[in-house]
Amino acid sequence: MFHRILVGLDGSEGGRRALESAVELAALCHADMLIVSVEEKLPAYAATVGEVEDEERYEHDYFGPIQRDAQQLAESRGVRIHLEVVPGHPAVALARLAAERGCDLIVLGHTGHSRLHHLFLGSTADRVVERAHCAVLVVR
Amino acid sequence: MDSNVWLTAAAWMALALAASLFSIRLGVSVALIEILIGVAAGNFLGVHTTPWIDFLATFGSGLLTFLAGAEIDPDSLRRHFRPAMAIGVVSFLAPFVAAAAFAHWVGGWDRQAAWIAGVSLSTTSVAVVYAVMLETGLNRTELGKLILAACFITDLGTVLALGILFANFNAWMLLFVAVTAAVLWQLPRLTRMVITRVGHRVSEPEVKFIFLVLFLLGGLAKLAQSEAVLPAYLVGLVIAGVFVRDRVLMERMRAIAFTMLTPFYFLKAGLYVSLPAVATGALLIGALLLVKMGSKIVSIWPITRAFRFEQREGIYTTLLMSTGLTFGTISALFGLTNHIIDQAQYTVLVTVVIGSAVIPTLIAQRFFEPPPAHAITEPSPPAPAIAAPVGGA
Repeated sequence: MFHRILVGLDGSEGGRRALESAVELAALCHADMLIVSVEEKLPAYAATVGEVEDEERYEHDYFGPIQRDAQQLAESRGVRIHLEVVPGHPAVALARLAAERGCDLIVLGHTGHSRLHHLFLGSTADRVVERAHCAVLVVR
Repeated sequence: MDSNVWLTAAAWMALALAASLFSIRLGVSVALIEILIGVAAGNFLGVHTTPWIDFLATFGSGLLTFLAGAEIDPDSLRRHFRPAMAIGVVSFLAPFVAAAAFAHWVGGWDRQAAWIAGVSLSTTSVAVVYAVMLETGLNRTELGKLILAACFITDLGTVLALGILFANFNAWMLLFVAVTAAVLWQLPRLTRMVITRVGHRVSEPEVKFIFLVLFLLGGLAKLAQSEAVLPAYLVGLVIAGVFVRDRVLMERMRAIAFTMLTPFYFLKAGLYVSLPAVATGALLIGALLLVKMGSKIVSIWPITRAFRFEQREGIYTTLLMSTGLTFGTISALFGLTNHIIDQAQYTVLVTVVIGSAVIPTLIAQRFFEPPPAHAITEPSPPAPAIAAPVGGA
């Protein structure tokens, strides 16, 4: 049914649930998985290049153990995976990577932001749905 | 409260801490947030500086300039020297002349104040450009490295102008130039020697050595009525090669700067922005922003075409080269503290500088972002009529 599944992993509880569902689905479909974490907090309008580099290193260190856990989970179910950490806006980066890598499903966790946040900013899932060329599954 | 140095320090550190927290939460540079918090503190809380805060702020701007110079990739600059020089020089000269002329003849600023406007708006923010390129992976391509090298050349033009335009050409200047030249000549060797013999110890002799050089050359610059950021940037440039191999030293100096020095500089830079002056000067602010962006576009875009950039990449590069932040505020604050411009003029310049950090970036990202790095066509060798192929010295 699905051949390549992209799952967004941000270290949140929702992201973890999305990963578990994506692994189950990938195992059922014998699909590959692309596990992507997005460095979204890199400082815009920085004063020095070092400021950006340091923040990027911090984000890499943050995502390292999270991605290793995801790898273990996927491999325990015999799912073949690729890991990526990319900078940018999560919705833009996830939709773009899914298109570039030929993914046919994007799996995301529900973030659980407040109503106020949703009212003004929407959610990453909303924006991925708007931009994605393929199916999007939001796991609650 | 001014007599109680601890409480004054606590108040400023509270503002700096608030800026850090907002910066992390919003994903926006701490420098920009510190300027904005400074604006609020100056306009609504009546916060003002003291002599020791002024010193920390001055040292902060010097160290920031040094770090900016030290971030250059010398190999990349050598590889792309000709196109980087062409784009960088034009990127400095065009807005410098255009903004100065506009401020003088349209804005009615006196000649000295108009020069400050030219210098402030001639800059390109390497860091803003780098952060934007990181998202597409452009920073890892040769095109990206060329753009970054060009940004360094532009900033070199800015600090040279700031250091020369208002200086006294007398015996002190001669001494300053002679000592600076000698120090710059020997500095890479001396720095390597200090690091090799006594580096990475708890007393940080290598950091103290660099501070000593910055203080000494800054002091001589001051005697010549020049500006301390000029030798600071040059010192950074000549020992960039040492820093490339010693990331720990760079990280320690950055930690010192961002913890204790640059917050005082950026908060102070915001403190003198008058919100009523923003309102009354709104028209001039908009016009100068257009002058800066327009002059960069008119001058840089044809060069990108001459060097065979794709059209989209050319516009993207041009817009990124229109950004500015650190050197723009440093130049404006230099003008204010030396009574070359008044607070209203300072407000206009800093507001334009902040606008130039944000607006060209947003336009570039929204409308002209090149394809992801792996799909980018590297610029072809330049046309023979413009320049010979880039040497790889």
